[in-house]
This record gives sequence, C-alpha cells and structure tokens, in this order.
Amino acid sequence: MSALPPPPPPPSADPGVEPMVQLTNVSKVFGDVVAVSDVSFAVGPGVTALLGPNGAGKSTLFRLLCGLTPPSKGEVRVLGSDARRDREVRGRIGLVGQEDGLFDRLSAFRFVEIAAATHGMVDPARVAVESLAEVDLDADDPKPLGSYSKGMRQRVKVATGLVNDPDVLVLDEPLAGLDPVQRRRMISLFHRLGDEGRCVLVSSHVLDEVAKIGSRVLVIAQGRLAATGDYRDLRGLMDDRPHRIRLSVDDPRALAARLIESGTAVAVRIDGEALVADTLDLDRFGRVIAPMARDSGVRLREVLPLDDDLESVFRYLVEGR
Amino acid sequence: MTAVATPRRERHSVSAVSTFALTYRIFVREVITRARIIALSMLGIVVVVVGWAVGMSDSSDLPLDALDNGVHLTVRLCLTVVVPVVALVFAAGVLGNSRDDGTLVYLWLRPLRRWPIALGAYASALTIIAPLTIVPIVVSAILIDPSSTLFLAVLMSSAVAVVGYTGMFVLLGSLLRKSIVWGLAYIIIWEGIASSLGKAAARLSIRGYASSILSERTGVSVDTFSVSQAWGIAVPVAVAAVAIMLTAIRLDRVDVA
Repeated sequence: MSALPPPPPPPSADPGVEPMVQLTNVSKVFGDVVAVSDVSFAVGPGVTALLGPNGAGKSTLFRLLCGLTPPSKGEVRVLGSDARRDREVRGRIGLVGQEDGLFDRLSAFRFVEIAAATHGMVDPARVAVESLAEVDLDADDPKPLGSYSKGMRQRVKVATGLVNDPDVLVLDEPLAGLDPVQRRRMISLFHRLGDEGRCVLVSSHVLDEVAKIGSRVLVIAQGRLAATGDYRDLRGLMDDRPHRIRLSVDDPRALAARLIESGTAVAVRIDGEALVADTLDLDRFGRVIAPMARDSGVRLREVLPLDDDLESVFRYLVEGR
Repeated sequence: MTAVATPRRERHSVSAVSTFALTYRIFVREVITRARIIALSMLGIVVVVVGWAVGMSDSSDLPLDALDNGVHLTVRLCLTVVVPVVALVFAAGVLGNSRDDGTLVYLWLRPLRRWPIALGAYASALTIIAPLTIVPIVVSAILIDPSSTLFLAVLMSSAVAVVGYTGMFVLLGSLLRKSIVWGLAYIIIWEGIASSLGKAAARLSIRGYASSILSERTGVSVDTFSVSQAWGIAVPVAVAAVAIMLTAIRLDRVDVA
C-alpha cells in the first residue's frame, strides 16, 4: 500500500498481461471544481474495489471509464479503446450507475429485455429472464419499476448491467439499499464474474464492504489516487496510524502533561475544556486513561474517538497525518 | 489484449432500423404522461371552443368573412401559441427528461448509432404532438368555415409547423437543461413578436413559413413575407432534418450522468 504521492501508472494486477482498463494521468474538471486529478492506474481481470468517501470522485472516475464524460486531460482506455468513440467497446461494458433513474412505467422484465435488445443480444427475452434470475428477481412480476423498493431497483440495475455478458463490469455503489442476504449474494456474483476473467470494478465508501468485495483496492480521496494495493495492507495502515481522541475534562492541562510524560500520547492539544490526544497504542490508552485521570485528580467526563471512521483513514493517506 | 471471458450469449450488431424502433417505443412510452396529455388537451379544447364561438357569431357582427377569420385565428392562436407550446413540452422533454433523470445512459452506453436515436426521439415526439395539435386546429377551422379551402390550408400549415417546431425543440432539449424556459422565451419573443413585426424575422421563423402556406392557399394576407407553397413546406422540413442531424451530433458529445 502506498500513500500519496501516488506512483506513476501502477502495474496491472497481473504483470505481463495487457490491462483491460487503463487510465493515464487522467484529470476531470467541472468549471472550478477538480473532480479527478492526475489519476493513473491499470487493472486486469478479477474484482477490484474502488474505495473512497462520498464526493471523492469515484463516480466521475467510472463515468470517465465508460466514456460518459471525456477527460479534461489524460487518456482512458478500456479494452484498448476509448469507449466514447468506439461503439463496439461500449457493447462490452456493463455499467451499474449510482443514478436511480429507470424507465419507471415498465416492468423489470421489459426494462431488462430492452437493455438486452439495445445490446443486440439474440433472444433478449431469454436474456432478461436469466439476468433477473441472477439477482433473484421474478421476471413474471408485472409491477412497474416505479413501485419497486430501492433494493429491488438496485438489483434491476445490476441485472441490466449483466445482459451483454460484459468483459468490463463497472458497479458504482451496487450494494446500496440491499439487505445483508442480498449483499452476500451480490458479492458472490461479483467474485464469480471476476473468476470468469472479467474485469469487475466495484466502488464503495464502506471499508468493511470492500473487505468482502475484493482484496485489490484503489483508494481515491479528493479526486486523487491516494493508495493502491491489497486490502490487508490498507487495514494495517489503519491500525498503525495515530488515533485521535477527544477527552472532556475539568483540568485538561494537568492530564495533558501526564499523557505526554507517560508516553501514552504522542501529541496533545488543548481545545477549551477538552483535550485532544494522539496515541499510537489505542488499547493501552483505553486501559490507562481512567486511572491516570483519577491519580491526577482530574474529572473525566467523556472519551470520544475522533477518527474511528473511513474518512480519517483517507485524511491520513492524503494529508500524511 | 488480455484474456477475456468468452461471451456466453450470442449477439449481433444492432441495425439502424432496430435502433430507431427501440428508441421510438421507449420514448413514446416515457413522454406520454397523463398530466401532460390532460393539460395539453385542454389547450386543444380551448382552440375548438374559440373556433366554435367565432363560427357561431353572426357574420354581420364581424369585420371579416369566415375565411379571413379562420386564417387569422389559425395564425394568431394556433401557429403562434398552440403548436409551439405543445411541441415544446413534448419534444424538449424527449431527450431532455431522459438526460435529467439519468435514463439516457440506457441508450447512450450501448453499441448503437446516434442518428437513429435522434430520429426515434423526433418521431416519438411527432407521434404525440401531431394529433394533440392538428386535430383541434382543423376542427376549429371547420367550425369557422366548413369550406375545403380553409380546411386544407389549415391542415397543411399546422402540419408543417408541427414538423419544424418538433425538430427544433428536440434539439433544444438535448442542448439545454432548462429547455422549457428557453423554449418559451423563444416562442414569445421570436415566433410571437419579432416574426410578426418584420419580414426578415418572419423569414427566420417557423411560423412565418407556416403562415405563408396558409396565405398562399387561401389568398388571405397575414402580414408576413410571402414564399411559394413549396418553399413554405421545404424550409420547415429542412429545419427539422438539420435539427435531427445536430441532435445526433450532440448525443455523441453530450456528458451523460
């Protein structure tokens, strides 16, 4: 796992094999907003997770990849071509976007059948039935999509993304709205597709979700590729980084001195009646803080971890702290 | 190239005709909503009621004869308000709505040519706009003056206007996000006011050509420039053809959500 600055184009998952998706120094600017900044990566067959907080640029990256928007700078190649220009390549991509828009007055079957027909599949009706079965939906359900729950709509979108047997399957937050059983089934489907030699790219902002989706991870934060590599390395990085804790106390100065003196904290900051401490050993900190406060005659009102979330990991990766 | 999974399912390239047919079916279904049909049918009913009221009036009360009345009503109400407004609502919505609600991607990210999509969008809008406008306008004309002269003139001029406006507004919907606002501004300022004030502006308006057909066939002057019937038909048709072509180019370059 490498923190910023990101390396030049990282190698494909399988060195020696030409990547199925390759981005080289890609940037995308919308007016004054830099959505994606100088991103380079290459991925081959298998499941790759794109991890990043909301607004990090994951969806924009996927839109670039599918050719839905052109890059402001750099080059995007999918199966060796630019999907925006190459009609044939567009037929080999499956996209499950984050947008909730569907043709709401159609049934799931009609919607997926139309998707198959627009991909030129022979016997679109059969393809629609098979694709809906992959996501546990009933092709005979006559209800319009407008009456479907968020989870069901999400599964319809995944079925639509599968109709053309895509070589590259791009899934933007595909597990959103699904119940735990459906999540497991969906993740197992992604792995099967990856094992078949397809390039499956899945985005998520939930770290634990990514742990199940794929071991190969691209971390994106603030539009930049913050890290690439194996999920286990990312997890390790989370565990190794300093943890920040906010302590509400009646005498922050006294407790701050004790924390530094004992080596329990590596840095402290007084914030009004609170003390913000950075520690490298969270377990030890938890064990000693109450006795230490008592021995120092300090009243401890609240202990609040400030960075026990994914955002802080990204911040750590991006800002190097 | 890397090893790619062998496709399990057979596929063929999608012909332009199939693309057109698929697009047409999708858009017709998406654009027709009960609320729109009711609201715009009311506009048609208003046209019929106005035609009935004018037709029932004692001709001695009116400054012009029935044919004149029919022509002027068609130009001022039908070609200036009814046709462009109905065309704007449906035509701009065909691609505009699907871009706004994110469903355009289901046609865009496909191995499909762009021009049959643009043509399908145009044809679907035309399918809805034509009966909603031409039928009440023609009925109104018959109620004013049952002669075949007015009937044929109104039928032709309104059909030509529908063809031209639909093309323009399909393009507008693909270009701009607030296409209804811009479209209404265009209808009021250019087609409504500017084209009735000067021949140069009328020459650059759909209404100018449609009115010209009406004038040519009935012999009633409508204060606009005059062109032959052939030109009156050809120019709006050409406008629609160019608009479809530009829509296809726009589809190729658009940012899809």
